[in-house]
Amino acid sequence: MEITVDRVKRYAGGSLLYLVLAAFSVISVLPFLWVILSSLKPHEELYSKQLTFWPHHWTWDNYTQMFARMVGFGLYYRNSLLVSLGTVVLTLFVGSLAAYALSRFRFKGDRALLLLFLGTMMVPGEVGLIGQYELLSAYHLLNTLTGLTLSYSAFSLALTIFIMHSVFVGLPQELLDAARVDGCSWWESFWQIMVPMGASGLAAAGTLVFLNSWNEFIFALTMNNWSDEARTLPVGIQLLQGQWQHWDYGVLFSSVMLSFLPVIIVFLLLQKYFMRGLTAGAVKG
Amino acid sequence: MTTPASTTAARRRRFGLDTPYAFVFPALLLFGMFTLYPILRSLYLSFFDYNFLRPDQMRWAGLGNYSEMLHDERVKGWPGLVLPKGDLAWWQYPLYPVLALWLTINTPGGAFWNTVRFTLMYVPLAVVIPLFVAMLVDRAGRLATLFRTLNFVPVVVSVAVVSIIWMWIYHPEYGVVNTLLRQYAGMREGYTWLSDPRLAMPAVVAMCVWHGLGFNMLLFLVGLQRIPPELTEAARVDGATGWQALTRVTIPLLRPTIFLVGLLVMIGALKVFGQMFIMTQGGPADSTLSMVLYLYNIAFRYGKFRFGYACALAWALALFIFIVSVISFRLSRERS
Repeated sequence: MEITVDRVKRYAGGSLLYLVLAAFSVISVLPFLWVILSSLKPHEELYSKQLTFWPHHWTWDNYTQMFARMVGFGLYYRNSLLVSLGTVVLTLFVGSLAAYALSRFRFKGDRALLLLFLGTMMVPGEVGLIGQYELLSAYHLLNTLTGLTLSYSAFSLALTIFIMHSVFVGLPQELLDAARVDGCSWWESFWQIMVPMGASGLAAAGTLVFLNSWNEFIFALTMNNWSDEARTLPVGIQLLQGQWQHWDYGVLFSSVMLSFLPVIIVFLLLQKYFMRGLTAGAVKG
Repeated sequence: MTTPASTTAARRRRFGLDTPYAFVFPALLLFGMFTLYPILRSLYLSFFDYNFLRPDQMRWAGLGNYSEMLHDERVKGWPGLVLPKGDLAWWQYPLYPVLALWLTINTPGGAFWNTVRFTLMYVPLAVVIPLFVAMLVDRAGRLATLFRTLNFVPVVVSVAVVSIIWMWIYHPEYGVVNTLLRQYAGMREGYTWLSDPRLAMPAVVAMCVWHGLGFNMLLFLVGLQRIPPELTEAARVDGATGWQALTRVTIPLLRPTIFLVGLLVMIGALKVFGQMFIMTQGGPADSTLSMVLYLYNIAFRYGKFRFGYACALAWALALFIFIVSVISFRLSRERS
């Protein structure tokens, strides 16, 4: 092969490209790797003036300590899971049903409704924080998983309707007409046609809603912060941090590790839907 | 389902349940109760002197809360233009405007100014760096998915967890940054990142840039994939250098995406809360007190539960976000 200046230049440029990209990727992932490794280090190694990346001594101490002493952690985990799953189920059901009505039927006020739903996507959710606190307090829903689930569902609704509306609009009308001729009610065609045909859209919206609820902080902090009973993981882990930061970061790291690892693994498995949902929901930010 | 489908259908039809109104109703109920009502209720409360613990003493205040905000030093405080002091090195003179700008942005003030300066620091970095990475990933060929995925990992982790990890990174004694500074830059102590009024905000911003990189990169990648490769190829065939093809073809075509990302990032930045709440509690000396953090404190932290004033702060911020968004839209439309 002839060695030309052009080819050398292209080769050098290519390697540089990969080098820079690798550097960015390392910076993105390294803190997590480092937390995982640090959670397996003994106390003295973590609190030393010498930086170690790879543990010199491996130990499960931090984990046994965490399970023995961070009593709330398991509870926060369960709460986060219940609230996030509840939100996904409720929002997807209610939201896609509304998206079905708004995309497939003409009725009085349909435009206005769609505009109302999508218009509130522009309003920062924080504006409703205090109004919602009052509302939940009036219905004795503060510090309950139900209250937070309802709150999250309502806020995820506009986004879900937005995503599912664009999915349903793209489906051919003939399918619905054929089902109608066969005697299906609208309700049945929703379950038998729209839901299966929009499955990938539902998966994308679902992963996005799950992620948002799993990571949400300010509402969980405001509504569910009186006792361990209803605390979710982000608020709980912030609380643990306050209690343990001056005491033992190793134990703290073991809990931090357990709270991010499942999400990252799920993300790596369901990547396709994550990416699709996130780009579709980008307007919401 | 136990009942045959046809009977359910008949029943639904009889009760008028098989109509679009019925399908929209649950969404409208949920949305009306838990989104629309709280937002409007907040607006209503913002005109009242209202302490949540003493609802009996609630009284009309008109625009009182809004005028209080304009007089509240912890909201409106602004250091003014900060100029470099003392003798400057010769190379600093040509950089004088940049230096003055940076010093001004990095001088703490009230919650509003802190929110704005957080935004001013964060937005340019959160647009330019992801754009750069996206362009590289776009050319990475078969490895593109790998790099995209790796850079995306932080996005799926919560602000709370990320903040805790970075507090350790910034730890004055055992943190990675200071240990590296001591080992390789010959510093004796390093910096107290989160408890120095001049360093706390940049430290938080750096973490946010790292956290948001993957998401913005993804949006840029979507935008880049919409640009037909023939266009840049044609430019190259016509003798354009890679740089020219980038600045004359790719960037102009990407402008809508850049605008969208910039707007999203800016709106998000103006609402910043969790990072400050966890890492600095707004300190030191209010240097990282953001608007949302301040209104949260007013409502729930300072023991007075002043919901009226907090609602006014929230609505003022929303209004500010709305105005800035509208102005950006106008500007972008005039450009194109």
